Amino acid sequence: MLRITGGKVYDPANGINGEIREICICDGRIVPEVEGGRTIDATGMVIFPGGVDVHTHVAGAALNFARAMIPEDHRRNQPFVRTQVRRGGIGGATPTTYVTGYLYAGLGYTTVNEAAVPVLSARHTHEELRDTPIVDKACCVLMANNEILLDLLEAGEKEKAQHVAAWNIWSAKAYGVKAVNPGGITAWKWGKDAKSLNDPIPGYKTITPRQIIKGLADIVDSLGLPHPLHLHCNNLGAPGNCTTTLETMKLLEGNRAHLAHLQYHAYGGDDWFTMRSEAARIAEEFNANPNLTTDAGAVLFGNTVTITADGPWQHLLYKLTGHKWGNLDVENETGCGVVPYTYKEKNLVNAVQWAVGLELLLLIKDPWRIFLTTDHPNGAAFWRYPEIIHLLMNADFRREQLKRLAPKALKRIYLPELNREYTLYEIAIITSAGPARALGLPHKGHLGVGADADVAIYNESKDIPHMFAYPRYVIKAGEVVIEEGEIRKTVEGKGILVQPSYDQKVESYIRPLFQQYYTMSFDNYPVEMERIEHPDLRPCKQPRA
Amino acid sequence: MGGKVSCTLGEVKNRADLIIYWGGNPAECHPRHFTKYTLTQKGRYIPNGRKDRTMVLVDIRETPSAKAADIFLQVRPAKDFEVITVLRALIKGHAVDPELAAETGLSMEQLQDLADRMKKARFGVLFFGMGLSMTRGKHMNSAALLTLAAELNAYTKFVAMPMRGHGNVTGGDVIMRWTTGYPFGVSLSRGYPRFNPGEFSTIDLLIRGDCDAALILGADPGATMPQPAIDHLARIPTIVLDPKVTHTSRLARVHFTTAATGISAPGTVYRMDEIPLPLRPALKSPYPTDEEIVHRIYQAVAAKPPLPPAVMLSQATM
Amino acid sequence: MELTIVKNATCTFCGCVCDDIELHADGERITHTKAACVLGTSWFKNHTAERLYPDALIDGQPASVEDAIQAAADHLYQADMPLVYGLSNVTCETQREAVALAELIGGVIDSHTSL
Repeated sequence: MLRITGGKVYDPANGINGEIREICICDGRIVPEVEGGRTIDATGMVIFPGGVDVHTHVAGAALNFARAMIPEDHRRNQPFVRTQVRRGGIGGATPTTYVTGYLYAGLGYTTVNEAAVPVLSARHTHEELRDTPIVDKACCVLMANNEILLDLLEAGEKEKAQHVAAWNIWSAKAYGVKAVNPGGITAWKWGKDAKSLNDPIPGYKTITPRQIIKGLADIVDSLGLPHPLHLHCNNLGAPGNCTTTLETMKLLEGNRAHLAHLQYHAYGGDDWFTMRSEAARIAEEFNANPNLTTDAGAVLFGNTVTITADGPWQHLLYKLTGHKWGNLDVENETGCGVVPYTYKEKNLVNAVQWAVGLELLLLIKDPWRIFLTTDHPNGAAFWRYPEIIHLLMNADFRREQLKRLAPKALKRIYLPELNREYTLYEIAIITSAGPARALGLPHKGHLGVGADADVAIYNESKDIPHMFAYPRYVIKAGEVVIEEGEIRKTVEGKGILVQPSYDQKVESYIRPLFQQYYTMSFDNYPVEMERIEHPDLRPCKQPRA
Repeated sequence: MGGKVSCTLGEVKNRADLIIYWGGNPAECHPRHFTKYTLTQKGRYIPNGRKDRTMVLVDIRETPSAKAADIFLQVRPAKDFEVITVLRALIKGHAVDPELAAETGLSMEQLQDLADRMKKARFGVLFFGMGLSMTRGKHMNSAALLTLAAELNAYTKFVAMPMRGHGNVTGGDVIMRWTTGYPFGVSLSRGYPRFNPGEFSTIDLLIRGDCDAALILGADPGATMPQPAIDHLARIPTIVLDPKVTHTSRLARVHFTTAATGISAPGTVYRMDEIPLPLRPALKSPYPTDEEIVHRIYQAVAAKPPLPPAVMLSQATM
Repeated sequence: MELTIVKNATCTFCGCVCDDIELHADGERITHTKAACVLGTSWFKNHTAERLYPDALIDGQPASVEDAIQAAADHLYQADMPLVYGLSNVTCETQREAVALAELIGGVIDSHTSL
């Protein structure tokens, strides 16, 4: 039992904006009152619901491939020395699993969504998530280049496609559906790409990205999944890609969808020399489409490593930078590329990217629809979120930072004209309440009675980056895990998943195709339920007929 | 430069029309590689199986795998790096001095033919074995081959993959990466992971006599390592876990008999392309599993007074 | 002895890790394999459920598992620079435990990959 008194509570889901309130916790939940137990005096502190990361890459084959590729990054970042309560490890752009849990908790984050899981290596992802302590974990299974599914969508067999998709979600023990560069990764298997919604896909007769996106969005809505289709649009990172993004938003009218890392999809210009921000156009269209949510995918200057299922984009990045290049195509399902990268202030393209992430966060009016992410580790490591919070809350500081860019960049961006400053209430929305709602997790992202007792308590301070980087207390499921900036206890987190309904007979449809296209045994493919640590099986809405 | 351009084995099955094995003998060392994953399988885009594929074998001697190949290229020993370098040049259209090329043991015609086939392939794959990765200049050879595959993507689709030998050696790499950040050769003596092959790789450690106790599991170095390394293992307290009493067990101070992985011990293993697979043991062993023994040793050590943090030790000596 | 049949068993002999093997076992040994290659077949048939070796040996003498655990823990605890090596023919679950142990004893951990 735990009582937190005297703190200013920011609980946007319940409309509480900085009021001094008492929070009571019992058996891992928020309760109306408790008798006895510990009391934390939070006078002079602010209280947030635990952070929720809607889009991050923290576990699985792709990230683990990246770990092997960047020993230089491991060395230049702070190591984590083993203590009596925590494991040793490595921080940096691709922290080891234990350190990932400690670093997220150390920011006040208590729930994360691993955004890209192939079914074929989902077992690997779950093994890593099991070794990621403290935080609760959901994951999204990659579906937009699954060839068994694409065949069905091309043939117009939507109902069967829905059963196959549901079977895949359950096989991967996933929570949501991710679509990365729909059709484009399939094209990449032949060294090609699909940049616009109408591009043909090698190996297929008629299907285009347009049909894949629409098909999957319909399937996810029909299955009643708590989280809408999680979409990484076509043509990521390319100058002029805003047209593809705008078309995609139009296409999704009538569906729910979450557009991942919008920053990478909001560029104008014709080439790398003329690339400019189109954040204003993207934000305007986005503001008019209340069916959509998004996350920033913001960029910060410095070293990181880019990791995405978007294989063709990574090949381009390798050719542009001459850096190391990792690629791993996954049979019938997806791909993955890894390229270490440094975002530089004096680089025109990087300066535009940095600005676009912030512009979208400032120009999209409804904080309940855009969330704080860096598409970790693509834009920057997640542990740098406090730097972005600082930039959002302080327009003067932003203007100072603009001076560090190449002067030419200022003509390509909107940021110098933007004066909006985020309030603490809005920060609580974009880091916790909003993403929890978008993920469809009613027990997360708020401090009302019945919610999971995931709480972050910060010293109120003018030094915003310090305040958010070093919470005074972090409480996970009612346990005080961080105190005075130190890990006091390492609890295990839950695995969040869904079991959408499907016709059992679909297995007899998939089995022969699987034997034809895959190289492992069909019966060894689905991840066993026993592998999910502390499963939290979430309900789907009643399927739509 | 650097990195790795690869895929899972099913991509090879479904798409590869040019399959090159380099410095390996799959017919004898990975007997089902041809039939289950690569050569003879029909694939989604390879309707006629073997007929739709060309296989090239590159090696220093003609092994039984040559019988399966359409083209066998016999390279002079320790000239793999030179062959790869010539191929990289030919692929980019650079001029190559025929005299230098001749040192490789292959003719210019053979080299040009291979370069042309690589560029013309729809989907090419380079499998490389220990003949390339564990001979003189081993990591240079592997790096050059991986670069060759990466560069070919400017012309067509090309991937490379090492032919990993032992059972779950791939799993070892995978797990060490997510727990320590590095794939092998990791020192935890300061309480956090440090990686330095040559300093923290086993043979170097043993030959220098740097370590003063050893726990050996899933390996039999007593049968495979250089004698000075074995001598050091015999000098220090060595602990062995193995389903049998091995060469290493005989020089060890402590031996545990354990259940055999996948036969009587359950769990997970990784295939050479990093696909995780579950084990389905058919027998019930009278012995505990490796997992259980290591865990119990962990608990027994953890029950002792805590070792002083390594960082404090190193500061104390400064 | 009752015959058990295991389908889709995984062979860990070489890096192919074929997972389509059928094993027939009589409780003590694997009597028959389907789909395995020559190397896999001999791997499966070479390991039985018989008690052919002592549970443990300390200095070459048969010992109980518990005593051997204590002896192993003593050696590793006392060492300044212990080495954990191998990790090939063991499960991932074992490898995880091995990393945790190496960290606890402040040692070096390494696999066949370094050869």
